[in-house]
Amino acid sequence: MKTALVVDDSRVVRMVARRLLERQSFVVSEAQNGQEALTACYDAMPDMILLDWNMPVMNGLEFLKSLRASPGGTTPKVIFCTTMNDIDHITQALSLGADEYIMKPFDADILNEKLEVVGLIQELSE
Amino acid sequence: MDELLREFLTETSESLDVADAELVKFERDPNNREILNNIFRLVHTIKGTCGFIGLTRLAALAHAAETLMDKFREGMPVTPDAVSLVLVSIDRIKLLLAELEINEGVEPEGSDSDLIEQLLAMAALEIVAPPPPVPATVPVPAKPVGMGALVTQSLERELLPGEVPLDELERLFRQTEVEVPMKGASKQKLPAAPKPAALPAPVEEAAKTVPAKSSGKPILVKDDEHPSKKDEDGAHGTPVAAQSIRVSVGMLEHLMTMVSELVLTRNQLLEIARRNEDHDYKVSLQRLSNVTGELQDAIMRTRMQPIGNAWQKLPRIVRDLAQELGKHVELEMHGSETELDRQVLDQIKDPLTHMVRNSADHGLEMPEERRRLGKSEKGLIRLSAYHEGGFVIVKISDDGKGLDLARIKAKALENGLADEAELAKMSDGQIFRFIFAAGFSTAAKVTSVSGRGVGMDVVRSNIESIGGTVDVQSKAGSGSTFIIKIPLTLAIMPALIVEVSGDRFAIPQNAVLELVRVKADSEHAVRRLNDSPVLCLRNQLLPILHLGRLLGLVDSSVETTEAEFENRLIAVMHVGNESFGVVVDSVSHTEEIVVKPMSSVLRQVSLVSGSTILGDGHVIMIIDPNGLAQSVATTSEATAANVLASSVHADADADQVMSLLLFRAGSEDVRAVPLSLVTRLEELSQETIEKVDGRSVIQYRGKLIPILVANGAPAEKGVGTRPMLIFSHDAQVMGLAVDEIVDIVESQLDLEIASTSPQTVGGAIINGRATEVLDVGYFLSQAFSDDANHLSSKAEQPRLLLVDDSPFFRNLLQPVLKGKGYAVIACASAHEALERLAADNRFAAIVSDVEMPEMDGFSFAEAVRGKLGMTDVPIIAMAGSNPSLAIQRGRAAGFTDCVAKFDRPGLISALQEFTGSAQGEAA
Repeated sequence: MKTALVVDDSRVVRMVARRLLERQSFVVSEAQNGQEALTACYDAMPDMILLDWNMPVMNGLEFLKSLRASPGGTTPKVIFCTTMNDIDHITQALSLGADEYIMKPFDADILNEKLEVVGLIQELSE
Repeated sequence: MDELLREFLTETSESLDVADAELVKFERDPNNREILNNIFRLVHTIKGTCGFIGLTRLAALAHAAETLMDKFREGMPVTPDAVSLVLVSIDRIKLLLAELEINEGVEPEGSDSDLIEQLLAMAALEIVAPPPPVPATVPVPAKPVGMGALVTQSLERELLPGEVPLDELERLFRQTEVEVPMKGASKQKLPAAPKPAALPAPVEEAAKTVPAKSSGKPILVKDDEHPSKKDEDGAHGTPVAAQSIRVSVGMLEHLMTMVSELVLTRNQLLEIARRNEDHDYKVSLQRLSNVTGELQDAIMRTRMQPIGNAWQKLPRIVRDLAQELGKHVELEMHGSETELDRQVLDQIKDPLTHMVRNSADHGLEMPEERRRLGKSEKGLIRLSAYHEGGFVIVKISDDGKGLDLARIKAKALENGLADEAELAKMSDGQIFRFIFAAGFSTAAKVTSVSGRGVGMDVVRSNIESIGGTVDVQSKAGSGSTFIIKIPLTLAIMPALIVEVSGDRFAIPQNAVLELVRVKADSEHAVRRLNDSPVLCLRNQLLPILHLGRLLGLVDSSVETTEAEFENRLIAVMHVGNESFGVVVDSVSHTEEIVVKPMSSVLRQVSLVSGSTILGDGHVIMIIDPNGLAQSVATTSEATAANVLASSVHADADADQVMSLLLFRAGSEDVRAVPLSLVTRLEELSQETIEKVDGRSVIQYRGKLIPILVANGAPAEKGVGTRPMLIFSHDAQVMGLAVDEIVDIVESQLDLEIASTSPQTVGGAIINGRATEVLDVGYFLSQAFSDDANHLSSKAEQPRLLLVDDSPFFRNLLQPVLKGKGYAVIACASAHEALERLAADNRFAAIVSDVEMPEMDGFSFAEAVRGKLGMTDVPIIAMAGSNPSLAIQRGRAAGFTDCVAKFDRPGLISALQEFTGSAQGEAA
């Protein structure tokens, strides 16, 4: 069973992401900021993290930095979630070890493609 | 509604509320990056989520707002205009959200291009700040990063300003050098040496945290430093958010209900255990009982919310208001973490908002005015909340001009809430409380903000409906403070369980003052006043409600008698300004009850507010004290706090209540005189009494006036001072020396005992005591003996029936007619007058208004002449308009004479003419 952690301060986004990921048979847990996400990762590293950038308490970049520097922290695939305005953050995130990025809003197709890219799901069943 | 959409609506409106408040803070403190980042994030999140729901209109607007916010972040100066524009945009978003909710997720038609253009134009204004500290594009490494295939993403719309094409992004992404190996140890990092010089700072920082890079070892290194580093990261700014989950209110309500059931079952078990001594399960039961209690407490706590939630919108409201009014207003909030039940919180949100608006609008002065008064230009509104007993106290104070006592008085007079004499006796606090009366607004002009005259009364009734109270303190020139006292929770309350006609009911304990048992010979007796039973309780006469009758459990057509109340229990209740007694059959006990709301089909039943389950499992109704109060007279309501007596049949009798001055003179007995007949109250220096022609006189306002004592004899010269009532009639002025002024009360003047002495018109029950009512006419006649003859004999005082639907005219005419020596019985309608006449036709004359609702003067006269067969009694009609026409028609109907309504001398002479025999005999 693959596990996914959705890190976003918006319940709506978490809800959407959860639906899409569960459709791909992920076991999904949620965190509302980087701090919570780190705690969750220390408990159990997920296979995949869908990471928002702009969150209170600890933002996505800080989280990513800490995660990648942690024991076992390089295992999870990190898909960095962002909007059109955040190019600088995408470059930063990628530098810090994000595997992919995805633009908000995303739909099932885009997310699945990204999941394929990072090797977490196989060719989509038609 | 779709779950996602509902979630979106709640989340977004929460975010907007916070953004509102933060923006106001930001305007004051434009250099605070943390606030700015907060706002930016909120708007950003809203924009982001809109996309998921497919709300393009909202997303576009949020995007434009975000663009402007971003400019602030880049150092654009923050102007009030710009903040206003963002606030307006937020308002528009709220509007769209509201429509979205109504339309089940369909965005309303229309465009926000107006706002978007403004926002973008504002954002495009000069940016004076240095270029943002954004890392330059990362130098492109020579080789492509072999990571995944290129995914094409297409966008089916034009790019918004500030957006970057996807391809561009994708290219950037592919070109970005990756610092950290992705596949663990297997993938070695590139040699670190040829590092580009212009690496962006964050990346460099990241690099620094990677130890031993020169060795070319994989990054995956255990390092003890890191956990602490993380802690620091986490600890920056706010503490780590508490672990929490969201639970729907419905779920909490359900839990609450279940716990209530559990409590009830526990109570039943305890009841059984009490009956069976020494059982094995006693200990376990005790434990169950404790745990249940704790569980109940815990569930109660989940319903608690900080009052700050209700305050969240206030900074924005005050800010907008201040701009609109051109005032400088500072809003301070203390104790926003004070918790109270969310149901209570919902109820006080609106009243609080209204009161804060009021303080800003009415309370605080304009800046120039404040400067003139030596105050700081910036007005202060302070909100504070704290716990006290089982209540939450919320104070709203301002340092403005304070309430205008004179204007409130004038307004109270104008609205007929009190008369001059009452006002004179009231404390400032009592007068301030008039602002809570219905339709009361002292605002000089109606502004868009407040001053429509609905407000404080609504505030009061909202707060009272949740068992709270509101009071006001004010000091001219230094401001006002409103104090709201509200119960912590409505869900559980102590109640008195009473029985009526075999059914049990719960009466909320906080409305019950005391329980009394009626005894005819004790001080708790029931008397009749104006055909209604009243409870004499110490110094008060309280209207009595019969719960059984109100609820239709007892046949209400059966007349009540005093005897029926003997030995009955009466719960004395106090609701708002109203005190009254409620007759019940028996009182069993008090119990903490769990309030279950009334089913919606029964909500309009005002007498009951809900139901509860008792310890023995029975379901009973909870009586609503406010509903009871509504059934009681509204008299005292209308005449402010100090009315001591009022009757159950308020509508019929309210107008007969008059102000009576109570005093002692010559004996210990309290006597009364209608206040309207007393011109002034003075202190009499007894040394100044002079004897002229066998009469005692004093100099009063440049005149010699006769002065008498209560038995009609002239006052004697003495030492010291004593109170003196001044009576005047036409040009005649006299003084009556008394021993002591006792009180001024509102009461029906219903003479029940015929007069036995010439000084009185009879005896009435006032304040529960038989009181002699002074005959002013007698004293005037004694003082001016040349006039006195026709007034000398009280036994022959002719009785007049005055019929007028206008309380104003009844009040106007009664003293005039009484002064002329008539005993006046007033009726507010023709029907009432006919009833009176049917019971007692010994009237010397009838004075009737012509124009009255339901039955006019003509029909009334016909009925008197025809149905009652009273052919001889003179009927004098008062016509408001065109008396001659009324005379023509009136003659046929049975009028003896007709006078114009304001023609008092005409009325008097007509009366003297037609009741001539009675007058003549005396003369």
